[in-house]
Amino acid sequence: MLQYEFMQNAFIVAIAIAILCPCIGIFLVLRRYSMIGDTLSHASLAGISLALTVGGNPLLGAFIFTAFCGALIEFLRGFFKKNADLILSVVLALCVGIAITLISSGKVHASAESFLFGSVLTVTRGDMTIALALSVLTIGVLAIFYNQLVFIAYDEETAAVAGVRVKLINYIFSILVAAAVSVAIRVVGVLVLSSMIALPVAAALQLGRGFRATLALSILFSVTDIIAGITIAYYLNVAPGGFTAIVSVATLLLAIVGKQLTRTINGHLKGGM
Amino acid sequence: MIIANNIYYTYTGAPPYILAGLNLEIKAGEYVSVIGDNGSGKSTLMRLLLGLLKPAQGTVISKAKRVGYVPQRGDFANSGFPITVYEMLRAYSRLLGVRDRRAIDRSLDLTGTRDLKNKLVGTLSGGQGQKVTIARALIGEPELLILDEPSTGIDVPSQAEIYGILRDLNRAHGLTIVSVEHNLQAALDSSTLIYHLHAGHGHICTPKQFIDEYLGGKA
Repeated sequence: MLQYEFMQNAFIVAIAIAILCPCIGIFLVLRRYSMIGDTLSHASLAGISLALTVGGNPLLGAFIFTAFCGALIEFLRGFFKKNADLILSVVLALCVGIAITLISSGKVHASAESFLFGSVLTVTRGDMTIALALSVLTIGVLAIFYNQLVFIAYDEETAAVAGVRVKLINYIFSILVAAAVSVAIRVVGVLVLSSMIALPVAAALQLGRGFRATLALSILFSVTDIIAGITIAYYLNVAPGGFTAIVSVATLLLAIVGKQLTRTINGHLKGGM
Repeated sequence: MIIANNIYYTYTGAPPYILAGLNLEIKAGEYVSVIGDNGSGKSTLMRLLLGLLKPAQGTVISKAKRVGYVPQRGDFANSGFPITVYEMLRAYSRLLGVRDRRAIDRSLDLTGTRDLKNKLVGTLSGGQGQKVTIARALIGEPELLILDEPSTGIDVPSQAEIYGILRDLNRAHGLTIVSVEHNLQAALDSSTLIYHLHAGHGHICTPKQFIDEYLGGKA
C-alpha cells in the first residue's frame, strides 16, 4: 500500500491533521463549543464553492471564508451571551445557504461535492505542502498562546482580570480553527470533520488526566484513528473520512468501557479489603 | 488603595441606576466586606472595582499594582475540566509573567494546600477548591484581593478555615481585601470595615457600628 505515492501523501497529510485537530479540539470541547467544527466545516464548503465559482484556489477560499465565519461567531457571542448555540445555527444556515445556492446554480467550475466526503487519496504534493505549512503555523501560534487559551477555557473572567486580552485571543483562536478546518476538510470532508475535532478529545477525557496528558492522549487517539481509518478504508474501498469517524467512535466506546471496567474492578478490590 | 468616586451604573444604558452616586475609598491594609440585599449591586460594584465594567459616570482609581481575584465558586467549578492544581497555577503565573516556580509553592503554603498540587481540580471538595483559588489569586504577590462570596456552597468547617486564611492574609501579611459577602456573621467576625449597599448607595462603618445600628447591638 505504501509503495504508491498517493498513499504516502495521504498518510503524511492525515497525520498532520490528526495532530492539528485535537490541539484545536481540546479548547473547543472544554469551552462546550465542539459543534463549532460542524458549523465551520460548512463554512469552508461555502468558501470552496465561492472560490471554485470565481476560479480561485479552493483551500485558500475555504480558509478566508471560514476565518470570516469564525470571527463572525466570536462577534455574535456579544449579542447571544446566554444562547451561544444559537449563533452556530445562524452561521450554519448562512453557510449552507451560500454553498447550496452556488452548487445548484451550476456556476461552480469543479466538483464541490468531493469536499463533502473528503478525498485524501487524491491529495497532491501541492496540497500536502499547503496542509503541512498551515498545520505547523497553527500549532506554532497555539503554542505561543497556550497559557492564555488554557486559562480562557478554564475561567474567562479571571483571565480578563489577569490582563489577558480575551477578545483578541478569541479572534486569533477563531482564525486558527478556520485554518485547521480548511486543512482537514480536504481529507475527511465536511460531513465528518467535527468528529475529528471532538471525538479523540472525548475519548482522552474519559481517562481523567491533567491538561497536558489529555492533550497528548487526544493526539495519540487521533493519529491511531486516522491511520486505522485510512488503512481499513483502502482495503474495503470506501471513503476514508467516513471510516475514520467510525473508528473514532469505536475508540471512544472502548475508552468509556475501559473506564467503567476500571471503576468496577477498583470497587471490588476496595470492597474485598 | 482603590477609590470609587461618584459612580453611576446601569446595565440597560438608561436610568434607573443600580448604583447611583456611589463613593467608596478603601485604604491599604483594610478588610472590607460589601454586604446588601440580592440585587443591591454588590457584584456590579465588584466588577467595577475589577475593571470588568465601565461606570456610566464617575471614576474608579486603583493604586494596586496587582489585583488577585477569587470568583464565586459556582462560576469556575468545572468538574469535567482536565487540569491539575499545579497546571492551573502554572498557567496563571505565566499569564502574569511570573517565572519563579517557587511562587506557586509559596501561594499554596499560604493556604495550606501544597498537598493538593498534583490533584485534578475537578476532584477537589468545595472547600479545597476555594482554598486553591485563593492560592491562585495570591500568585504574583497582589496588593489587593477581591473575592465574590467566598463561602458560597462550602461546608461550615471549610468556611471557618477560609475566613481564617483571609484574616491571616490581612492581619499578618497586610493584604488589602474586598469581599462581596452574603455571610453576614463571617463579614462581622473577619472584616475591619463593612460597606453596606442599599438602593444604589452605600455607607461604610465598622462591624461594631453595624451591629449597633442594624442588629440592635446583638451579633
